[in-house]
Amino acid sequence: MMKFLRSAQAKKLGSWLALVVTVTVMTGPPGNPTQPTLGFTSSFSERVSFFGLFPAPRGVLFLALALLVAGAVLAYSRVAKAPVQRARAAVVPKYQALAGKRTFRLSWYAVVLLGAVLLPHLVTDPFWQSAMVSQIAIYILLAIGLNVVVGFAGLLDLGFVAFYAIGAYVTAWVTGALPVAAPFHHHLNPFWAIPIAIVVVMIAGVLLGVPTLRLRGDYLAIVTLGFGEIVTIFMNNLYGITGGSTGSNQIPHFSIHLGSLKYLWGLNPVPYYYLTLGFVVLFLIIFSSLEHSRIGRSWVAIREDEVAAESLGVNPLKYKVMAFAIGAASAGFAGVMTAGQSFFINPATFTLSFSINILVLVIFGGMGSIIGVVIGSVVIQTLSMYLIHTPPAGFQNSDLYIYLGALLIAMMIFRPAGLWPSKRRRREFTDAGVEGTASIAGGQ
Amino acid sequence: MSTPMFDVSGVTLRFGGVTSLNNVTLHHNRGEILAVIGPNGAGKTSLFNSLTGVYAPQEGTITFDRDGSTPLSVIGKKPHRIASAGVARTFQASRMFPAMTAFENVKIGAESHRGFGVIGAMVKGPQTRRHERETDATTWELLKFVGLEQQANVLSGSLNYGARRRLEIARGLATNPKVLLLDEPAAGTNPAEKIELTELIRRVRDEMGVSILLIEHDMKLVMSLAERLYVLNFGSVIAEGTPDEIRSNQAVIDAYLGSTDTAKGGE
Repeated sequence: MMKFLRSAQAKKLGSWLALVVTVTVMTGPPGNPTQPTLGFTSSFSERVSFFGLFPAPRGVLFLALALLVAGAVLAYSRVAKAPVQRARAAVVPKYQALAGKRTFRLSWYAVVLLGAVLLPHLVTDPFWQSAMVSQIAIYILLAIGLNVVVGFAGLLDLGFVAFYAIGAYVTAWVTGALPVAAPFHHHLNPFWAIPIAIVVVMIAGVLLGVPTLRLRGDYLAIVTLGFGEIVTIFMNNLYGITGGSTGSNQIPHFSIHLGSLKYLWGLNPVPYYYLTLGFVVLFLIIFSSLEHSRIGRSWVAIREDEVAAESLGVNPLKYKVMAFAIGAASAGFAGVMTAGQSFFINPATFTLSFSINILVLVIFGGMGSIIGVVIGSVVIQTLSMYLIHTPPAGFQNSDLYIYLGALLIAMMIFRPAGLWPSKRRRREFTDAGVEGTASIAGGQ
Repeated sequence: MSTPMFDVSGVTLRFGGVTSLNNVTLHHNRGEILAVIGPNGAGKTSLFNSLTGVYAPQEGTITFDRDGSTPLSVIGKKPHRIASAGVARTFQASRMFPAMTAFENVKIGAESHRGFGVIGAMVKGPQTRRHERETDATTWELLKFVGLEQQANVLSGSLNYGARRRLEIARGLATNPKVLLLDEPAAGTNPAEKIELTELIRRVRDEMGVSILLIEHDMKLVMSLAERLYVLNFGSVIAEGTPDEIRSNQAVIDAYLGSTDTAKGGE
């Protein structure tokens, strides 16, 4: 059974099934606000007739169609593609295995994305809808950004919140919500803050990185810690510029005014959810292609052995600064989202414990594993929100970190590489020290 | 013969009060297999580190000339800069990237000296993909060259010593160097692997046209491989010559080789 589940055919079948479900739901009847799941369920049960021939439930119909097409494609590829694939696999053994795994992975991602898109229709509790944006999606952005720095490049950054804060304050600045005058005469829509904030934050990353990234390990951690504190203290004390501890004035919501296209993001969290989700997906794609590019490999090389990497012509400082700037970009964007959704911002949000919180998400999920970090963020943040929303007897909000700390300790004992370690780390834990037994992985 | 590959003259390297290299002068000719031998602590690895920019000697000059017309002053340059100029090296205790497969280890070397775009890497543009294909091809060729294509997808940390040594050579060659510096390549290998390694090093020079500079304690290997040797003792060059000349040099016998009865010495 397990063997069948791992075979390429099973994976293909799985991806086809996912496609069937998607198409069925997409072409199905529209949803109903009072019964959010109705649109989903009736997509399958509704009977339709196929060219007036045989009426059947839609789900069954699409399934039959899909199996038909899948069978045809499979038969075709057996005949036409097999020799080519075999020839290629003989030259480069890993290609064949990769191709099969890729389809499987992509279909999984599609299913998860579909779930994420449907989520606000299934979860209608306003608390959770708002938590999905401000406590989960934003934290995912921050965690995957920190993962680039800590997980990929191996640089311990304890002041990551600084970039988030800069992103938020830049938004307040360009929308004219700070005591200091806005940079342009016109008060901009927070949308324009997105590119501006990302550029400013990346510059901040470079400015912090160039002098400090010559330091290694603990020293770097201390310097970044200091940087985070400096930013918070500036925000607190520069009354004339940042508004001090009271923070900003009202920051306008996101809106689109392009000719006849007008849309205003108001108080309802759902539109923010979709906006953030879009950017989460964008950042996930960018970060994962970076991970598998020469930049990602250079990060790993520097993390593993800086001297050896240098001897191969890899400039460590350049790549480390790059990691800082790229990681900061997603934090900067998270800052814009936070500022654009909540009316105002103040320094109390951007504390050291916030940086630590993000670091916990990365460690919990699995350093260096993008999927792991996303899962980690969702699990921990959902758990925290659950404890806050429906507290068990005797639970107080200030106890939260006790529970998270205990969870983290348990994790370090039972799954030291994280909830969902990266492929590289997983192999390190299972493969290392077993000399010569490993054959070409997936070469057959 | 044109200008030498490495022209080291009057190099002195001090760490506080300790003089690690004392007025060392050395020439490495183009296409030559040159060896540096000497007892432990003689300054051999310090010399390598000075040649690759890890250390910056206080006195003297080191000039690397890639093709006979572009002399590059090494002292004060960063290691990655010297590496991209065409100097590859291996390390005494082999330094792999243990979490990476053998393939990836070599690929890092192959792609590090290419130009690249960050945006291209983010969106996997056509140029990036072409570069990936080309570096993949180079990597496979090199793995075949050192005989490791069967272990391509094995984590380098789980390879045995002999394979690690060969992988390090492949990784160095991937940077498209003109000279390869080998720091005790035979350390920790068994006699059969030593023979293979000797053969491999000779092939690197003959087939790839890469000059070799090596440090080695195994006298059998050095004497059969090297065309010329320098002998270091307490940071100074005490002798220079062909293997036969070195074998009969009294100063070398006193300092390093020992009397003919115990002609192994060194370790």
